[in-house]
Amino acid sequence: MQKISLPERPDWRQTARDAGFTFADMHGEPYWEESSAYRFDLRQIEDDIEDPSTELHAMCREAVAAIIASERLMTRLGIPEAHHDLIADSWNRAEPEIYGRFDLAYDGKGPAKLLEYNADTPTSLYEAAAFQWQWLEDQLANGVLAEGSDQFNGIHEALVERFRELFPKGTDLHFTAAAGNPEDYATVEAMGWAAREAGMGAHYCDLDKIGISAEGQFLDGEDRVMETLFKLYPWEDLLQDDYASHIVGSGCMFLEPAWKAVLSNKGLLPVLWQMFEGHPNLLPAYFADDVADALVASGRADRAIADSFDRAADAMRRGHVVKPIFSREGASISIVENGEVSETSPNTDYDHHPRIVQAYHPLPEFDGFRPVIGAWIVGQNCVGMGVREDRSRITQDLSRFKPHFIAG
Amino acid sequence: MRKRSRTVALTILGAASFAVAGCREEQVDAQAFPDLASCQAEAANGGLFTAEECEAAFAEAEALHVEAAPRYESLEVCEEQHGQGNCGSEAEQVSNGGSGSIFMPLLAGYLIGNMLGRAGGGMAAAQPMYRNASGGFTNAARTSSFSSNSGRGTMGAQQFTRPASTVGKAPMSRATATSRGGFGSRTGSRGIGG
Repeated sequence: MQKISLPERPDWRQTARDAGFTFADMHGEPYWEESSAYRFDLRQIEDDIEDPSTELHAMCREAVAAIIASERLMTRLGIPEAHHDLIADSWNRAEPEIYGRFDLAYDGKGPAKLLEYNADTPTSLYEAAAFQWQWLEDQLANGVLAEGSDQFNGIHEALVERFRELFPKGTDLHFTAAAGNPEDYATVEAMGWAAREAGMGAHYCDLDKIGISAEGQFLDGEDRVMETLFKLYPWEDLLQDDYASHIVGSGCMFLEPAWKAVLSNKGLLPVLWQMFEGHPNLLPAYFADDVADALVASGRADRAIADSFDRAADAMRRGHVVKPIFSREGASISIVENGEVSETSPNTDYDHHPRIVQAYHPLPEFDGFRPVIGAWIVGQNCVGMGVREDRSRITQDLSRFKPHFIAG
Repeated sequence: MRKRSRTVALTILGAASFAVAGCREEQVDAQAFPDLASCQAEAANGGLFTAEECEAAFAEAEALHVEAAPRYESLEVCEEQHGQGNCGSEAEQVSNGGSGSIFMPLLAGYLIGNMLGRAGGGMAAAQPMYRNASGGFTNAARTSSFSSNSGRGTMGAQQFTRPASTVGKAPMSRATATSRGGFGSRTGSRGIGG
């Protein structure tokens, strides 16, 4: 794994504009940044990213089953009691997952470490699946990249295949996202393209235009009944909305399914550690309430996890990250080293949620930037990758998307 | 073995592209303009439409604005839907005697479709555009949203359905203006992504 300076495509801004990629620059900073790229070798991709991520998703599925079987865990994960059944039913009916993105810390050598799973509403799909792909094709054509260079990016093809295997040709699928946000919209449209290519009817409706019929079915902006709805809107928010009570009985299948609410939740991390302690791709993690006393003083951890905590105590005291169970774009996250807060996110939107603590595993640094690997899951397999990097130790919404390639 | 897709879709077309997805709806070349002058400037540079078409479409959009703009019972409700400063009374916007207590969004642009003679019979080649509350644009029926009031693209012909008249109908209250929207109470200007 290296970061390599490369000439930018002279016309990439025009290419981005023509493609409708309107957020290639955001807040006056480049978001898409191609003056350098990350280079990996095939072994790193296949042995350190692809196979471990596929395995992590399988472990996450085991965790879902365990969480859903336990009222106590559901409550700890902040799932409103009124909706426990909705989530359990969606799992028991085996409602299908479409996609997700693991965020991994990886430096090219040791095992990649799971930071979190964006299993419900991952964005940057368009950048990863399409714009990054075009960069590789263009740079091969320009002779900037050596012939035979490749990219870990079968995301689009895998999505097409996933839709094909799940739905008969000609099935009408609806797609929704909050209006007026081009980043979210781009992810939804990238998904819609794949559905269309798989032979589906794809229809878009702004989230706030969704209505409800007298019979309790969800309607799109043109009063068409929606039977399958891909929503780029998190379950934890959806379940707080007025229409949440209509989901059961609407006859509408939601994608991602409701059971993803327990994966896209940092409460997953302590559950995984309890189930798979010592797994090379996991970091020790605990619910903050269970270990708060043990972390700050000579107090004891909660009896149920005390032995496990003893084994991780040195690492946890050396450094840990405090994360609310729900948080996006790095909000409300702090890093604590040797008892001192050494870094904290300026965004405190999620401060009121319960927290977890995870052993601190520093991101590698390349030219002053710290990359996080986004490993994309489609169905149950890892099929591609995107890299985002940030100057800060906490990856935030100003991070930059960097292309990658495979050589050697 | 190759680790990347053979082909991908590179283009983000905007919400209207979804409508043509099932290949059931005809596609129309369309262009949006903030005002008549910008359409005519483009016409002079060999744009999609001639100066005469600009003028006819603009007149049609203005007529549809008078006839079918969303109408609200108060300035507050109108501004909730269309943003502050983007509404005015019917009396101000309709020449022959509108009400001073009914409020409509101000015309903020228009969309012209290359209908090739298909206009008429429930279709209109031009549509008025209005500001929406999130800084983008919407149509008279408030069923579509557009990120901009200038630009060109291909969209479903149903975008050019003639909007239902709102003249003489009861203006929308807050309850009727927001009768949809049981989802999304937690969306802000920020993306949701992680």
